[in-house]
Amino acid sequence: MKNSKNVIIILAVIFITGMFTKACGDEFLTRPAMGSLSEDVVADRNGVETLLIGAYGALSQTGNQGWGDGLPGDGAWAVCPSNWLYGSVLGTEAHKGSDAGDQPQMNTLGGMNVSPSTGFINLKWRGLYEGIARANSVLSVLPDVPISEGVFSEADKARIEAEARFLRGHFYFELKRFYNNVPWIDETVDALTPQPNDQDIWPNIEADFQFAYNNLPAVQGHAGRPNSWAAASYLAKTYMYQQKFSEAKALYDQIIPNGNTSNGLAYDLVPLDQVHNPVNKNNAESVFAIQASADDGTGTIQNANPGMMLNYPYNSPFRCCGFYQPTLYLVNSFQTVDGKPLINDFLSTPVKNDLGVLSSENFEPYGGALDPRLDWTVGRRGVPFHDWGPHPGQRWVRDQAYSGPYASKKHIWWQKDDQDVNNPSQWAPGTSYNIPIIRFADVLLMAAEAEIETGNLSQALQYINRVRERAADESAWVKNEFNRGYAFEIVNSEAEMLALEPTSGSWVVREDTGTTFVYLGGGATDITNWNEYSEPNYNIALYDDLGNQQQAREIVRFERKLELALEGHRYFDMVRWGVAEEEINEYMDYEGDFFPASYINEGQFTPNKNEYFPIPQRQIDLSTVGGTPALQQNTGY
Amino acid sequence: MKIKVDNSFLEMPLRFLTKVGMSMYLVLFLCSVVNAQDIQTVHEVSGTVTDASDGETLLGVNIMVVGTTTGTTTDMEGNYSLSVPSTDSQLRFSFIGYQPVVVNVEGRSTIDVEMEISAILGEDIVVTGYSAQRRIDLTGSISVADVPQMQKIAESSVSRQLQGQVSGVTVSQSGQPGDEPSVRIRGIGNFGNVSPLYVVDGVPTSSIGDLNPRDVESLQVLKDASAASIYGARASNGVIIITTKQGRPGLRVSFDSYVGYETPKHHGNAFNIASPMEMAELEWLAYNNSGLTPSSSLYGDGTTPQLPDYIAPAGAMEGEVNHDDYYVNPYYTNTGDLGNFYRITRANKQGTNWFQEIFKPAYTVNSNLAISGGTDDASYMLSLNYINQEGTLLRTYNERYTLRVNTQFNLNENIRIGQNASIAVWENPQSGSLDQGTATGMVFRQQPIIPVYDIAGNFAGNFGAPLGNASNPVAQRERTMNNTGENNRIFGNVFAEIDFLESVTFRSNFGGSYATSNWSWFQFPEYENAENAVVNLYGDGAWNGTNWTWTNTVTYTDLLADVHNITVLLGTEANEDTGRERGGTRTDYFSFNPNYVNLSNGAGDPTNYSWQYENALFSIFGRAEYNYDNRYLLNATVRRDGSSRFLDNRYGLFPSGSIGWRISEEAFMRDVNWLTNLQLRAGYGVMGNQLNVASDNAYSLFGGNQLSTFYPITGGPTIFQGFAQTRIGNPGARWEESHTMNIGVNTMLFDGALEIDMDFYKNDVRDLLFNPELPGQAGLASQPYVNVGNVENKGLDMSITGRRDISQDFNINATVNFTTYSNEVVKIAEGVDNFDGTSRRFGSGNPIVRNQVGWPISTFFGYKIEGFWNEQSEIDQANASAGGVYQEEAAPGRFRYADVNGDGRITADDRTRLGDPHPDFTYGLDLTVNYKSFDVSAFFYGSQGNDIWNQVKWWTDFYPSFQGAKSKTALYNSWTPDNHDAKAPIQENAGSTATNLVPNSYYVEDGSYLRLRTIQVGYTFTPDMLSYVGLNRLRVYVQAQNLFTITNYSGPDPEVGNTQSANASTTSFGVDEGTYPASRQFLFGFNLGF
Repeated sequence: MKNSKNVIIILAVIFITGMFTKACGDEFLTRPAMGSLSEDVVADRNGVETLLIGAYGALSQTGNQGWGDGLPGDGAWAVCPSNWLYGSVLGTEAHKGSDAGDQPQMNTLGGMNVSPSTGFINLKWRGLYEGIARANSVLSVLPDVPISEGVFSEADKARIEAEARFLRGHFYFELKRFYNNVPWIDETVDALTPQPNDQDIWPNIEADFQFAYNNLPAVQGHAGRPNSWAAASYLAKTYMYQQKFSEAKALYDQIIPNGNTSNGLAYDLVPLDQVHNPVNKNNAESVFAIQASADDGTGTIQNANPGMMLNYPYNSPFRCCGFYQPTLYLVNSFQTVDGKPLINDFLSTPVKNDLGVLSSENFEPYGGALDPRLDWTVGRRGVPFHDWGPHPGQRWVRDQAYSGPYASKKHIWWQKDDQDVNNPSQWAPGTSYNIPIIRFADVLLMAAEAEIETGNLSQALQYINRVRERAADESAWVKNEFNRGYAFEIVNSEAEMLALEPTSGSWVVREDTGTTFVYLGGGATDITNWNEYSEPNYNIALYDDLGNQQQAREIVRFERKLELALEGHRYFDMVRWGVAEEEINEYMDYEGDFFPASYINEGQFTPNKNEYFPIPQRQIDLSTVGGTPALQQNTGY
Repeated sequence: MKIKVDNSFLEMPLRFLTKVGMSMYLVLFLCSVVNAQDIQTVHEVSGTVTDASDGETLLGVNIMVVGTTTGTTTDMEGNYSLSVPSTDSQLRFSFIGYQPVVVNVEGRSTIDVEMEISAILGEDIVVTGYSAQRRIDLTGSISVADVPQMQKIAESSVSRQLQGQVSGVTVSQSGQPGDEPSVRIRGIGNFGNVSPLYVVDGVPTSSIGDLNPRDVESLQVLKDASAASIYGARASNGVIIITTKQGRPGLRVSFDSYVGYETPKHHGNAFNIASPMEMAELEWLAYNNSGLTPSSSLYGDGTTPQLPDYIAPAGAMEGEVNHDDYYVNPYYTNTGDLGNFYRITRANKQGTNWFQEIFKPAYTVNSNLAISGGTDDASYMLSLNYINQEGTLLRTYNERYTLRVNTQFNLNENIRIGQNASIAVWENPQSGSLDQGTATGMVFRQQPIIPVYDIAGNFAGNFGAPLGNASNPVAQRERTMNNTGENNRIFGNVFAEIDFLESVTFRSNFGGSYATSNWSWFQFPEYENAENAVVNLYGDGAWNGTNWTWTNTVTYTDLLADVHNITVLLGTEANEDTGRERGGTRTDYFSFNPNYVNLSNGAGDPTNYSWQYENALFSIFGRAEYNYDNRYLLNATVRRDGSSRFLDNRYGLFPSGSIGWRISEEAFMRDVNWLTNLQLRAGYGVMGNQLNVASDNAYSLFGGNQLSTFYPITGGPTIFQGFAQTRIGNPGARWEESHTMNIGVNTMLFDGALEIDMDFYKNDVRDLLFNPELPGQAGLASQPYVNVGNVENKGLDMSITGRRDISQDFNINATVNFTTYSNEVVKIAEGVDNFDGTSRRFGSGNPIVRNQVGWPISTFFGYKIEGFWNEQSEIDQANASAGGVYQEEAAPGRFRYADVNGDGRITADDRTRLGDPHPDFTYGLDLTVNYKSFDVSAFFYGSQGNDIWNQVKWWTDFYPSFQGAKSKTALYNSWTPDNHDAKAPIQENAGSTATNLVPNSYYVEDGSYLRLRTIQVGYTFTPDMLSYVGLNRLRVYVQAQNLFTITNYSGPDPEVGNTQSANASTTSFGVDEGTYPASRQFLFGFNLGF
């Protein structure tokens, strides 16, 4: 009995001592984080450079693809930095595409029915602020990196700061024109605490670009980094969005004659067939572009424009997914009379199209005069789709009756370059096409606008004509010979052609007629089973004068449409000019008649509301502390 | 004295030990000590003691002369001899696990005794945390499974057999072989991982999928804090304790085997899919309803659609297609070649039943050989199991070999050592399910007009025709044919027990697992789809992990003054879990021959990855049990855990206490003869959980990867390394704590003929680790887990067992296990009162599942349908009274939603709870009838009151929800101006928020069911029949599993199962988007004993 008591006491003492001894096992329990670095490890020269690359990595705005379940990095198409959805689909240039049931949130957006809880606008918000957070990481680590001669100079430090601020300026520029009222978070602000969106951040954006302009070199070691001229161009664009035309003009007066690209090419317009060609990227026209790589060795398309992955003809060599189909409204804009666009009358005599015509049926393309830029912008039946053959029409379209007959084309690569610029590793294609944020034609047309607004129409005329002159260069027009490369056969006579054994859809180039024939099926020996396509009728001329200031405005705005179509600008331009209500509702009225089942038919632009997207409800909820949200909703929502 | 753990000492030799596969122990200690004393010899008695059930002799049976301290124990052959004071003495035979027997000597000198296993009187020993207790002494809530009954269910894993077998445990599983079910003890207590802790032969583990069910000796579930909090930081999801079989003296050899035939349960049209002609008619209907003129490259453009003879070329008729044009190279290696293919596919006008194309009858075999035996000082048990269960879904199976060796040795009177070890090797290719992209999803997505194969026998698909973008599920499954996957796991322990100071036992137990997996897959290029994967790709990967636990305990047991039973246990435990994985892929293979393909010989870019993890726990714990005269029971435990996952609050303290009162032992109850046992229990305590926190949660971290932070900065193809912040750290995180109160009552009536155990509980789970979303401005770095949430579970567990011996050779047993819980989210985070789960094709912002304060976890969420808008005038009227738009996109034939918040219009605020997947109760009913040599048993399992979100209907019942197969409901039972009493809304060309674009109550169905899980009829040959062939025992049986299921659920199986992700319980619990349904199975088996 006594023995037992002693046992209990001894055990209890051991136990209680152990229970309150922190030391026991502490070493055993200290386990490092695996596969990551702590902040002090990245706070050196190499670390800050690598953080800076990480900030560039945010430009493409994508991590993994998904169905937009609100997880970080999901919904590549919701956050695509080309703004194809927000700038072009919402901006009258393209249908969402595919069929009615696919990506219904895009229908909501396209019909101007966006609500604060539409998931896409939350993804866009999160993606842009991630870019800002990465730029801020660079800026907060940078002061800790010691200056040491020959290793890390003040100039290095200034350049890194300037690049980071340029990138931050870019992300904020997007936020500003999207949501208008957004909180400014820089490296000095606590990002974990909700911040209000009650300040106009244009001055902050200007300050970032101004710093970048002052501190970036004119030539960079890497083509993907912005230089001082890119910063100047973005600063000027920032002025344009604020109607600060004389400030913008002053910059353009410097940029246009003196500017050069980051890789040292004097700014210039390149031939029409080279502007968007990924094998000729970072050319003289590229002011600032988001770099992409198809052949990056990752086995994914994450660095190869994942946000554009849906935007290729369906049932085609591109496989997926039939989104982003240009509108009749856009195509009609490319009609010309005497080489000039029908700025106020382009809807009265529409361009003929193949709506409702099967690919196996004969179709005679539109024969009227067109701006040659149309066929570098839009894929349409019978016109060479680069060297992929004449666009077959309905066969490459998922639901023609819903989204029209056309395909968008600027991001399409050539078949001959397929090995170099296409990444086929996933269910939809990737490409090394660079997304142009600012290109020199855009600079010239913005400069023209600034000149018009400041009253100098003759300088504006020069700028506009410079853009049109490039388009007028016949040597870079779409040509029948594009069909030769992958033709089923090149023949010299009809007899020779009728003796072939093609499968339906095969195309044959005829030397004798200078045209291309597509076999429609039903018997190759019968000439009626062949559809003949000749080169379209292009006609473009320079302006002699711009008329009065109002006419000049209309000309330059229409010229932007023709030159920059499907590059994600139009919606923001229309809002900036204050014409969005008029133009978008005109478009919806017109286009809706052709597509009764589309969201367009019921769509409506509401002034004092649709100029900006709503602040995502999720973000308002997350900013709520003690029942009071730090973020205020935009008007109209 | 300080208990010190020396890292270096532990890591090297002990890791080595685990790797070579040492193991185990079993907790059958507490040998009774007998004080034999010399007494005046009057009469000699001897005899043999045997087990009444199988006639085996029993070693170590305690025999006492009643009223004296004279006694002895039986020897190895079960023999004893004893001197008794007189010829009319009484002898009391007692043995742990058996009913005591009292015999009057009546002058006899030979007395043979048969002892019955004491399933009834609560004398049986229950293994609890770090010790064992008599069942009647339990004060915590512990369910003991009826292992022989459980083992009648022909499943490859213990957790699958567990369904319905014990109260308080909810098991939901799919029909997929080897798919580990989700096991939840007393509801869902957190926002992440809700799996219980398993303790096998004293070794904690998170996985028992590779445990051979035949090796299980006992299984108990520790449900409340007073039972489980001895496992402290890992106990809050409940603890399941399993002990494996040990050898006993005498050689036993048994061979058990069965073969089974499984048939998929649906012979008909599992999803009520329309025929090809009906599909075309539906398209016409939808276009006409939308005011459009129907026209299709497949079905023509007439007033009624025509089925084409071919779908590739789209819409072609017989005679228009030249079969010589056919060109498809299914094994193309040049992606450019795809453009040259000319596919010819005949329309399957009768319609392809995709369900039947991928679900086929399958076979199962299972054989188990067990050899056990031993002497006084040593025992062994060896078992070998082979199971090969084919799945009914193409190319799924579970093939496993398990070898177990358990041994124990008594080195001397005071020292025992032993080991348990199992080695399992298995292959278990599975198919994803519950997702539209998997083969089970394609069954209801791929259109029936598409045949399985084209004219040349290559796969057929939707290329070129407006048939949507689903893929051919047969192709999907067949293309896994070159995939491999092999898993190995060694699990076990070694232990030593030393008795000293009479009543103290020291025990050291070292155990754990070493596991490896390796896998490879080959992705064939596709050619038949609208959206083809065009690259050929090979992937290869491997993982290995080591998890060891070293436990040291000291137990002091004593009986003081005949009435004070005291047990004190103190212990320490160290645990380390480490592992790493690596893998790679490569594309562009010259040949697809699996013998050729490896990571080295692809022509495309190689990719690779690896990651590693490392976690540790260190704990000190103690327990005190006190029992006064078998009437008043007291129990207290405390555990202090330290975890490497936490930094500033590394240690947590988990106390518990419980009391018990055996009322039936009180003097005033002695005369109540019908009441054999009545015991009240109550307990309160705290349990912890650390599963829901990332290992590196404490640290702010930077890093990067090629996909999201690298950038081709030079403009060339090379991407350059970039970093970003990857994690925002929270050094202050600490344990989740479950505060549990339990009140129980155990009742046994009529000498055990009726037994009722009942437990009421309330679990208040606090400081739940949750990573609330930060404002977007914080960037996308992983948000830290913080202790914010609070969830409450309340419930009642009950089990009722009845036994009736109708005659000597006819008896009936019945057991009902009843489980119910109610679950409520009390708090999520500061300023956050909900977070959302899956939204599927509704897209972000339109969640199907919402976890909302005041609701159960994983509540279905959306608009409540009141009916249809039948007339435009109704809409006009509603708009007029709303002074604007009452409901966006309202139109005749579309859903009219309920104005839940009563503000006069339908907005996002009208979304409400539409049901939840939690059953009101689940129940298992076991019925066993023994008649002479026949035995019949049946086991029913049911779940009542759980809802299912049938997401399949989104695909099939709404024409505009993506092109694909649609249901007959959409065509025949949808709203039209003439049919207002429809099920589905008007079929239109485009979706709307008033039909299919937002979650609404259309998808919620009652998922209640009752299933005859198994029914078995056995026949045991009598010993005289077997003596010719030298067998001890032969039983043959036939069995049927899942013979019928009674349910109103429209999908193929109301038991939806779960996805494997750790947080499935808060994101997709009860969401059906294509299950792998349970199959009906017929078995023939036998049990042989030598």
